[in-house]
Amino acid sequence: MTLPQARPEKVAAGESVAITMTVNGTEVTVHAPPRVHLADVLREQLGLTGTHLGCEHGVCGMCTVLVDGAAARACLLFAVQCEGAEVVTVEGLGGPDDQHPLQQAFSAHHGLQCGFCTPGMLMSSYDLLAEGPMGTALPAEDLPVEMSGVLCRCTGYRGILAAVADVAAEHPEGLPGPRGCGARTLVGRGTARSRSTADAPEEEPRPQVPAEVRLPAGAPSATVEVRSELGVPVEKAWEVLDDFHRLAACLPGAELVEVLDEHRYRGRATVALGPVKLAFDGLAQVVERAPDEHRLRVHAQGADTGGSTTQADIRLHAEPAPGGGTVLQAEAALFLSGRIAQFGRALAGDVSRRLFEQFAVAVEENARTGRATATPARPPGALSLLAATLAARLRVAVRRWRRNR
Amino acid sequence: MKAPPFAYVRPATLDDVLAELAGGDAKVLAGGQSLVPVLAMRLGRPATLVDINSVADLHGLAAVSGALRVGAAVRQRTVERADAARAVPLIGMALPFVGHRELRSRGTVVGSLAHADPAAELPAVAACLEATIEVAGPSGRRSVPAAAFFTGAMTTGAGPDEIVVAVAFPTARPGEGFGFAEIARRHGDFALAGVATRVRVDADGITDARLTGFGISDRPVSRDVTALVQAAGEREPELRVATAELATEVVDTAGDAHGSTGYRRRLFGVLAARELARAVRHARRSSEEDPT
Repeated sequence: MTLPQARPEKVAAGESVAITMTVNGTEVTVHAPPRVHLADVLREQLGLTGTHLGCEHGVCGMCTVLVDGAAARACLLFAVQCEGAEVVTVEGLGGPDDQHPLQQAFSAHHGLQCGFCTPGMLMSSYDLLAEGPMGTALPAEDLPVEMSGVLCRCTGYRGILAAVADVAAEHPEGLPGPRGCGARTLVGRGTARSRSTADAPEEEPRPQVPAEVRLPAGAPSATVEVRSELGVPVEKAWEVLDDFHRLAACLPGAELVEVLDEHRYRGRATVALGPVKLAFDGLAQVVERAPDEHRLRVHAQGADTGGSTTQADIRLHAEPAPGGGTVLQAEAALFLSGRIAQFGRALAGDVSRRLFEQFAVAVEENARTGRATATPARPPGALSLLAATLAARLRVAVRRWRRNR
Repeated sequence: MKAPPFAYVRPATLDDVLAELAGGDAKVLAGGQSLVPVLAMRLGRPATLVDINSVADLHGLAAVSGALRVGAAVRQRTVERADAARAVPLIGMALPFVGHRELRSRGTVVGSLAHADPAAELPAVAACLEATIEVAGPSGRRSVPAAAFFTGAMTTGAGPDEIVVAVAFPTARPGEGFGFAEIARRHGDFALAGVATRVRVDADGITDARLTGFGISDRPVSRDVTALVQAAGEREPELRVATAELATEVVDTAGDAHGSTGYRRRLFGVLAARELARAVRHARRSSEEDPT
């Protein structure tokens, strides 16, 4: 395998660079900044609009093309990564006058309804069958799984699978190569700079912080319930919960922006989890505080510049445990929307739970020593995603409350 | 969805990669099949992406001295098709579940480990096989056992200025058998629950059994289940009773719209029993084929 040539000079974020690659047999040079993906270059600069874009984050498979002979998502590959690569699109597979056997079979079996997924289906099935028996000798019952990487929203899978099975049977040793890869001039917008070039790093407006926390109706995206036993008496633990400065010190990751009134606080929380980094601006509202029962309830919500929003209903309850200790009960209902909801899955709940566990440890330590725990030295990775936000909201709330007293 | 702006560099050597990472707020780009969706969804905005595909040293794939060593730039599809990888049967069992063909053509084995999604297959394989993860950073190289590497959801023992350069999976020995299964809503989707198993037998019977679950906590969870498997052998109903009990202990993921904690516990218990039984059968067969 030949490695891509190194590009040791760093390309700045807004800087457009020349990228030379082979597309459907023709060498082309395009100019694009690093953030532009291959599918946009194919469509907007080379006029190859057969490559479709659906989800643009690797799920739907519409943009499937061949890169160095293997099917890949053109939306998950930046053009700048494709220096020296050989790319084949559906236009390279065959044209109206000279169809590839796969295209003929899709036509014969009516392997399409609206046709939007057809380019992805063709490139994916080419990848499956091109190398011979590993793909062509697949048992019929395994074919749907092998073809599951491209979605047909019309659900017209029967015709598609019949076409692929047909071609596999006709070409057991592998498929003829792409037919449309002869040297030719690629039209479209040529090597002109894409419109999105030179965009200076974009500044998105920060989301507006609402005046009231409103929790959505319906079932939450995730719920968290953590019971922790603390080796301190309940009065000591409540002192921490009741003292906003001390409580705040137990929750990592937030920053107080503004005290709105006695019960409402504006804050900011930064969340980091692997490559995920979110900055939430938000609002927290103490809706219940019962010193006799040692209960505290906070509603919180936050929005990230990327369009993710999160809301939470958090309840903390400290009660005496046998033997003089305390049981700290933390319950949270989390509501996620926007991109984070697509990403979240059970992760949100899991991460929140760990956060509350760490919170409980910090409360115990704080109750014992009477001092704020230092900010943890570890990066906020382990404590994060939404939970951090919510917890951060709480911390902010707590701090403000204290300030107002 | 378009990625936010970032600077890009593709160094030719590992030293240059480390120098770029030392600059701060940089992420390693290998296959990009997990990182690029994060960027597209604007869940992350690293200042710089450091593409490691031009570093020749990171493309190594070879079985040497009892281990299959996979470099950081080696694609999942390459491993799927490599003869050398057959020395580690569990990888071959797990890879078909990783995303789709079109993602495995770019995605890397080491990238899956470094991303450390709690529902991902390859971290579970590494944990089950007690693989060794090689990390390079400003202060040199170190080897981290898989058990210590995964420290939480998408959180690992590798620091932001470090890079995982390779993973070494121990190759299978005669008398070892394996099992792997997962349940997801759709093929290629994240697992609701999954298991990887390894059983060792010798002339006297089962000597070791190890079970790793994924998608069930914030990281892969491994347990030594030797006593349990010695008692139940490959009899699935008996294994089921034991693994159901184990499930209440190891499955601590919160439920979501796709499955409650209880449902995931049940999945884990059933899959664990089935795949432990399979591993016992494989182990017996492999010890007969090649007696030690």
